[in-house]
Amino acid sequence: MKIKSSKTRWGALALAGVMAISVAGVASPAQAAKKKITIGFVVHVVGNPFIQQIIDAAKMAAKDLGVTIKVTGPAGAEGDAQLTAVQNMAAAGVDGIATSVPSASMVNGLNAIIKSGIPIVQFNGLGEGVNAPYVGEKSVESGRILGKMVLDKIGGSGAKGKVIVGNCYPGFPVLENRQAGVLESLKKAAGVQVVGPSDVKVDAAANFAAWQGLLAANSDALAMVGLCAPDVESIGKVTKAASNTKVIGGGYDLTAGNLEALANGSAHISLGQTPFIQGYAPVYILVDSIRKGIKINKPSFLNSGTEIVTATSVTEPFKLPALTFKNLQAMATSKTKTRKYYEPVVKGYIKDWKKNLKPVSDESA
Amino acid sequence: MSQSGAESGTRRFKLPEETSVVIALVVLIGIVGALRPTFLKPTNLLNLAASYAIAALLAGCIVFLLSMGEIDLSFGWILNLSAVLAGLSMIAGLPIWLGVLIGIFAGTVMGALNGALMVFMRLPLIIITLGTASVFQGVSLISNNSGSVVPTDERITQHIFFRALGGSIDTPVPIILIFVVLCFVGLHLLLHKTRFGYRILAIGSNPEAARLAGIPTKKIKIQVCALMGAVSGIGGVLFLGFRGAVDPSTGGQMLLPVVAAAIIGGTPLSGGAGTVWGSLVGAMIVGVIGVGVVFIGIDAVWGTLVTGLVILFAIGVDQIVRVRKRKAS
Repeated sequence: MKIKSSKTRWGALALAGVMAISVAGVASPAQAAKKKITIGFVVHVVGNPFIQQIIDAAKMAAKDLGVTIKVTGPAGAEGDAQLTAVQNMAAAGVDGIATSVPSASMVNGLNAIIKSGIPIVQFNGLGEGVNAPYVGEKSVESGRILGKMVLDKIGGSGAKGKVIVGNCYPGFPVLENRQAGVLESLKKAAGVQVVGPSDVKVDAAANFAAWQGLLAANSDALAMVGLCAPDVESIGKVTKAASNTKVIGGGYDLTAGNLEALANGSAHISLGQTPFIQGYAPVYILVDSIRKGIKINKPSFLNSGTEIVTATSVTEPFKLPALTFKNLQAMATSKTKTRKYYEPVVKGYIKDWKKNLKPVSDESA
Repeated sequence: MSQSGAESGTRRFKLPEETSVVIALVVLIGIVGALRPTFLKPTNLLNLAASYAIAALLAGCIVFLLSMGEIDLSFGWILNLSAVLAGLSMIAGLPIWLGVLIGIFAGTVMGALNGALMVFMRLPLIIITLGTASVFQGVSLISNNSGSVVPTDERITQHIFFRALGGSIDTPVPIILIFVVLCFVGLHLLLHKTRFGYRILAIGSNPEAARLAGIPTKKIKIQVCALMGAVSGIGGVLFLGFRGAVDPSTGGQMLLPVVAAAIIGGTPLSGGAGTVWGSLVGAMIVGVIGVGVVFIGIDAVWGTLVTGLVILFAIGVDQIVRVRKRKAS
């Protein structure tokens, strides 16, 4: 087709330029020709600080193991879009895929991929029925720990008053398990009245607004307990804005924002689920199993451990070296420090993954 | 005076209006295929088409609303609730086909409700569906207790409906794709070859003139909304069969890709015109972009930027061809 108009010609050139920019970061065909193991890493949402910690660890594993890693995921958490991303990875010819499984509707599709010969390892979100190992925390148990720690801070079994519980993604199995553990612990105090669990949304702004509304409606609450990554930071900001120094804030994950809330005293407890292990281990397991011809097409569980953090103490799993709160804050913003710290886990617990795999029922025990 | 020999002997062949967007799709496929030849494997292309088939079906129907100058924000949640109700019916022991009909009927009722509210409250559909989207989502969460609906009974999972859609039966072309293409044939005929379709386009062009011409605009609006609900319901039961489960979040993120597919396909937001086949091509463009980002190996952090740039590219190619066609005519 001849483009006679000069305006149209310039327009076409500009568009071609746009396309060129778009593919500028692409691996060259020459690189593709050199056969290297390629791992697909699919997350359920892009742009989340906690998920980014997992992605960073996965990339560290790929670098250590000398493999290529392709990271992708939907912009908004939706199982069907994520499954399509996994299927696209499989079609693109990766040798193995690590993926979180936030939705039951992904299960059949993932099993079809496993059946076709591409190994899969799950992380962070367990898909019940997926024929693959899962790397994650013991979700009910971590909920029990969080619930107990909050209860201890508000008076133990004799506590009397309201505790607000928020779930950013109702129905997400891992969160439902955490919730079950938290509620189980809170029940031990007959005088505690649970408000919720309320849907506090994943998006940072909506999460803040939800917690703000809950505190405004329950200004006499003794504690606020969240189950997701944005909660501790939001709870801290909300209690600070309301000048409420009495309410105890607790939740999950050790993002920079959450640690800041603990440091300034506006929140009190945050449990980590060791995102380093959740990112590193799946890649390691995939590469090791591919190189050694080990079949991993059965459900199993590798515990990523629970980190317990307050402003004054940090308890790490797997007999890792003691950390101060300041060390932890520094690690949250430094990939090099994080990698160095977890070296014993890489050389020990992750390297012996086969020995450390447990039945998948252990995840919710 | 008779026409000159030159004019009568050589009638200009008019290309379909979807030509420009088809060219954009072919260019995109060509670029991805050139960078990654495995992308062009027929199995990959068919699986890509199957993955985006349900979104494409919704895009094909939203053309009706866009042609009328309206937009529905709730269709994703209509899809979700229809799938949930169908799934729960099947789990409760009802025959599979009855569960399917329940899902489609529920979708139709929800769509009709949107239409009725729009007409009687005299508000644009976008405002009505801002509210009904949350209502449908809420009812779905209550119905499924905030959990996934996963039929596990062999009576259900081994039924031909699930086996055919879920891919247990080997066919050269995925069955869901065949079904959606047939739906597209029906939707195209409905919009462009029936009085109902002409009335929709007339309302979109000039609602007041359409009313003065005797077109029952309120009735048509309710019918179009009911159609959107029915097709969303069909999408819901197809999803249930295709994936074997429905989650609390299913359908929640469909709005942007579905509307984008219709607009990229050539249906203007201003109303008065629409192309059903164009929306199918638009959906495939959205799909190729999503798949292409993975095939080429663009990191997740860059993926959103690249997706936006490529959508602009696709719209640009479409616009260049349209401008050229207009100048030629």
